[in-house]
Amino acid sequence: MTPWNHKNRSKSGQPLVEPLMPLALIWLLITLALAVAPHAGELPVWLTLLFYAVAGWRGVIAVRNQALPPRWLLLPLALLVGAGVLIEYRTLLGRDAGVALLTAMTACKLLETRGLRDGVVLVFLGYLLVMSNLLYSQEILMVAWLFAVVVVMLAAQTMIYRQHAGLTGFAPLRLAGKMLVQAIPVMLILFVLFPRIPGPLWGLPKDAYQGRTGLSEEMSPGSVSELSKSDEVAFRVRFMNSPPPLRQLYWRGPVLWNFDGRKWTRHEELQANTPVAFTPEGAVVEYAVIMEPSNRRWLLALDLPASLPPRTGMTPSFQLLRDQPVNEVYRYEVHSYPAYRTGELTTLERSRALRLPGRGNPRAQELAAEWRARDPRPEALVNAALTLFREQAFYYTLTPPLLGVNSVDDFLFRTRQGFCEHYASAFVFLMRSAGVPARIVTGYQGGERNAMGDYLIVRQADAHAWAEVWLPERGWVRVDPTSAVAPNRIHEGLYAAVADPGSLPFLMRRGGSSEWLRQLALSWDLLNNSWNEWVLAYGPDRQKELLSGLGFGPVDWGEMTIAMIVALSGFGLIFTALRWRRRFARDPVARSWQRFCARLARRGLARGPHEGPLAFTERVAMQRPELAVPAQEIGKLYGALRYGPVAPAAAVRRLQQLTRRFRA
Amino acid sequence: MASPLEDRLDWVVRQVGSIILGKERAIRLALSCLLARGHLLIEDLPGMGKTTLAHTLARCLGLHYQRIQFTSDLLPADILGAAVYERQRETFIFHPGPIFAQLILADEINRATPKTQSALLEAMEEDQVTIEGETRPLPEPFFVIATQNPAYQIGTFPLPESQLDRFLMRIELGYPDVKAERFLLEGEDRREALGRLPVSMTPAQLHEAQALVAGIHVAPPLLDYLQALLTFSRESGRFRGGLSPRAGLALLRAARAWALLHRRGHVLPEDVQAVLPAVVGHRLHPGDDHLEQSTADLVSQLLNAIPLPV
Amino acid sequence: MLQNLRRRFETWVVRRHPPATDPVALTRRRLYILPTRYGYAFAALLFLLFLWAVNYSNSMGFAFTFLLAAVALNSMWRAHDNLLGLVIHPGVAEPVFAGQAARFSYRLEQPGLDPRYGVALQWRDGLPQYVDVPAQGSATVMLTIPAERRGWLQPGPIRVLTRFPLGLLQAWSWVTFERSGLAYPRPRGRRPLPASLPGGGGSSIGEQGLGSEDYAGFRSYAPGDSPRRIAWKAVTRGGPLLVKRFTDQARPELWLDWRLLGIDNVEPRLEQLCQWVLQADGAGLQYGLWLPGRQIPPASGAVHRRRCLEALALFRYEGQR
Repeated sequence: MTPWNHKNRSKSGQPLVEPLMPLALIWLLITLALAVAPHAGELPVWLTLLFYAVAGWRGVIAVRNQALPPRWLLLPLALLVGAGVLIEYRTLLGRDAGVALLTAMTACKLLETRGLRDGVVLVFLGYLLVMSNLLYSQEILMVAWLFAVVVVMLAAQTMIYRQHAGLTGFAPLRLAGKMLVQAIPVMLILFVLFPRIPGPLWGLPKDAYQGRTGLSEEMSPGSVSELSKSDEVAFRVRFMNSPPPLRQLYWRGPVLWNFDGRKWTRHEELQANTPVAFTPEGAVVEYAVIMEPSNRRWLLALDLPASLPPRTGMTPSFQLLRDQPVNEVYRYEVHSYPAYRTGELTTLERSRALRLPGRGNPRAQELAAEWRARDPRPEALVNAALTLFREQAFYYTLTPPLLGVNSVDDFLFRTRQGFCEHYASAFVFLMRSAGVPARIVTGYQGGERNAMGDYLIVRQADAHAWAEVWLPERGWVRVDPTSAVAPNRIHEGLYAAVADPGSLPFLMRRGGSSEWLRQLALSWDLLNNSWNEWVLAYGPDRQKELLSGLGFGPVDWGEMTIAMIVALSGFGLIFTALRWRRRFARDPVARSWQRFCARLARRGLARGPHEGPLAFTERVAMQRPELAVPAQEIGKLYGALRYGPVAPAAAVRRLQQLTRRFRA
Repeated sequence: MASPLEDRLDWVVRQVGSIILGKERAIRLALSCLLARGHLLIEDLPGMGKTTLAHTLARCLGLHYQRIQFTSDLLPADILGAAVYERQRETFIFHPGPIFAQLILADEINRATPKTQSALLEAMEEDQVTIEGETRPLPEPFFVIATQNPAYQIGTFPLPESQLDRFLMRIELGYPDVKAERFLLEGEDRREALGRLPVSMTPAQLHEAQALVAGIHVAPPLLDYLQALLTFSRESGRFRGGLSPRAGLALLRAARAWALLHRRGHVLPEDVQAVLPAVVGHRLHPGDDHLEQSTADLVSQLLNAIPLPV
Repeated sequence: MLQNLRRRFETWVVRRHPPATDPVALTRRRLYILPTRYGYAFAALLFLLFLWAVNYSNSMGFAFTFLLAAVALNSMWRAHDNLLGLVIHPGVAEPVFAGQAARFSYRLEQPGLDPRYGVALQWRDGLPQYVDVPAQGSATVMLTIPAERRGWLQPGPIRVLTRFPLGLLQAWSWVTFERSGLAYPRPRGRRPLPASLPGGGGSSIGEQGLGSEDYAGFRSYAPGDSPRRIAWKAVTRGGPLLVKRFTDQARPELWLDWRLLGIDNVEPRLEQLCQWVLQADGAGLQYGLWLPGRQIPPASGAVHRRRCLEALALFRYEGQR
């Protein structure tokens, strides 16, 4: 036998270019256009337009069977587009620039798509585009959209093979849909059991998770009220036992110590340790938080958390800190004690908690000195400040006037209109001036209960800032000066508290004619929450939890691999059995006969494909006389049942019985 | 289960078998052909027992038997009969020819001229004879056994293909095996034995049996199989032409009769396979690329090519 | 090394399924499946997507990667099932001359209820010829296979393959049919046609020719002869019954004789004879063929030509197997 070369080559040894069917190319263009569509918002306008123009043009070329632009044009064009991306983003690395480059290169590739191989490359580029969309959003709608894109993509992949031209009309789509649906069980097994490696494997580009609103690690006048304009969900909470009242729901975020007269910043290095000891007083609250990606390391928890989720530590300020930023939907379980008593201050902490900027805000300092002279007990000083906010004409508003250089003085004595950060900042300043250790705590307060799903939605608009003062007997005590100005903020939420609710985002408003729309939105949120909680939050931690929860005890990735292989083989077996059943006809008569023939075939007595039941069993009887009686009865019975006018149930049972008992 | 009628058919097979030794398969085929209301063509060398087979069958079934020896000078009227003027009555009186019998042995049919042949074949086809504008039905049952000498001889007129199609089956008798031959040599004269053979079946019973054939059940999988055979013969390129729809019907009819003869109320693939060579052998011709293969080989290839439905 | 391994595998496979004369049904045991180069590229793509998902801890990224992997798996059994149960009928080819390409037509039959797409036959490293096979129907594939030597054409193993549906995997099987076509010797040689003998000398002039012009003598009567041909004049003279013989052709006839050729080797002789047959046929001559052990009396026409060429093609062929 001559050696066979399986590559398709023409006689001259040149690889043959298998042409791409125009119809397949049209499908490809459609699917690529669909895949790029969600990016339209992020890509520079010129690039989006370029892509769609090129795709449309390529479609026209394909339909009219015109010539492609010459090859020498492609390199300059690619360089030009690459340069455009470089100018736009000032880099070619990173998420946004990467996606732009991918889109640009796909457009260029379209212009040199001639043969089958180019088609395959385009399909692969399409899959990469689908994946790139997932970096921006993994919400249900996006996933549904991308699923549809993949259906079309698979159909296009089927059609780029000219040999499958027999599949016409919508048949490729149907086939692709069928394949995807059939692929789902395996995907689920892999999704659940494939050992997840905690990412990232290497440094992520800086802009990997850009564009997320949320708390930051500093606070200046207006920074929190800015957040309150967003009704994006920050996180959702599911309580294990009965939830505490709204006013107790202080979700602790970054704790800020340093004040420069205008801006508060944290001083601590973000270091996490084992839980910081405190004395709980009262009941425990257990809950799970499903956090939206924040691109920050901290996790939100109720005051004060007493347990640590996996890979998480706690700073001395009772702030939960994960080893990686939360870049994915992340679910963690914590329990907290709303009533507590903390320990002593170190000297260093005390000095920090009393530190003031070198100068500025003289009037506030005077006022604090005045209070201190009147009654130096810390409780009295706290009360003095709260009384000031409560009794003077202070307003709680989303749109406070701008403050001058001495921001605290300006606020306390001139504008008297502010959001929570103004009050918290002024309060802590007053406390420190009066000699009471104090600090700012930022986070979220309250939330909205979704009665349909029995969980709490906390939005960015629920962002809040409050103060903590250190009292000798009780340790750190939370004081929320906002509650003195606008008690409704704490009891009923932002809508009830602000003076100008019209400037609130839609989902934060209550009542009114569009209430039903809000209810609809809540239903949608319920769906999203389930999606987040059960699907998106499924990561390495949840995977371990789940498997341990199933009674396997703690599992390592090796055991997980074994579990996956077992599940896959199980599925394979079931699948094979189903197909086997289909091959072994559904009809019991045929099945019995096939079994009988298979048994004899194993003994070297294979039925010829054309051999009828009588002829075959007669041959069996000749070659193996000891089998003559049962074999011939089976042959006769099968013949009568298969080719006779009726198949009485009793006879069918008899045949089944005979074939079961038959031993060759 | 078996009705007396089926016992009788068995009895006929045994009776004929006592005269024609060692040829049970041919006897059964001939009887199936008769039951299926078809006509039989026996192609064999002289002296193989063609005549005896026909005679014995007629005897056992109690059928009115006529033998026509075909020669080149045989005229259609010699077979069909003619109107002759009788002077006494001053009118033409129809004198029926030998064809007005229930079982006819048309011996050496290829010796007659095509014109005479076609007179017989037309009568076979239509079960009636039209002479001088008057149509006369042939007796019931009407069964023709024609014999043909396959050896190429001068002055013969082999039946054209279109006429061969009128015969349901074509069989060969072949030489008897050693045992049968010995018995033949030792035993008494066949013709004498034939004379003593009892009539095993009445024409009414035969008619009943013929009616039963039509009632033999044919299941869908069998039709699938049959169609696959037909399709293969047409598409495989091994045959010139392939089997016609008429051939398909003939095959089914013959298989039904064969099944009845084997005491079955339904047709098995084996029945089809058993009658297939006899039914299609004279209807198929090797395709241009298979000229070197005999028709029998091709038919057995046809059988092997089609797997049975499960 | 890899090439060698593959060749050994192929030899093994071909030996496993000996040449058949009947149609071959593709059973599970005959089917093999391996990724194509696009399949390997796809695997690389999956790996890339997986890394991407890990790096960004992207849950849906994992789902997407796994979904594509599962689809690839699904396409594996689809490719396999796309061939399973197909029946390949032995190829038939018109006879050709050695050195020409024979066109074999193979019929693919699908007895089942699902249509089969993109099934190809491939001979050695030729281009695969694709075809769709309708449900409960059949389709024919033409393969062009060069006839290198005279005799029975044995194309050897034919690969039945499919890349349906995604082109990532190729399922294939080998079928080998015993003999499928005939190659006549290559017509070659520059010797002129031998001289013709005058017609009528042979004993082979068609007696059965009914319509005829040229009187060619008498022979004795046999029953069935046409009365018109009886030589009545002779009968009236009291002679035996004689029949007049006629022949339509009294053209010169010629013997293409093996012995005329003083060439040592068998093949060149056959090639020259083949050339002569074609020349004689082209000239409309009456010619016969003389080979050791096989003589074909002079005649003409397409059937005769064919018979002569077949005799040349298969001359002492058995020994060459």
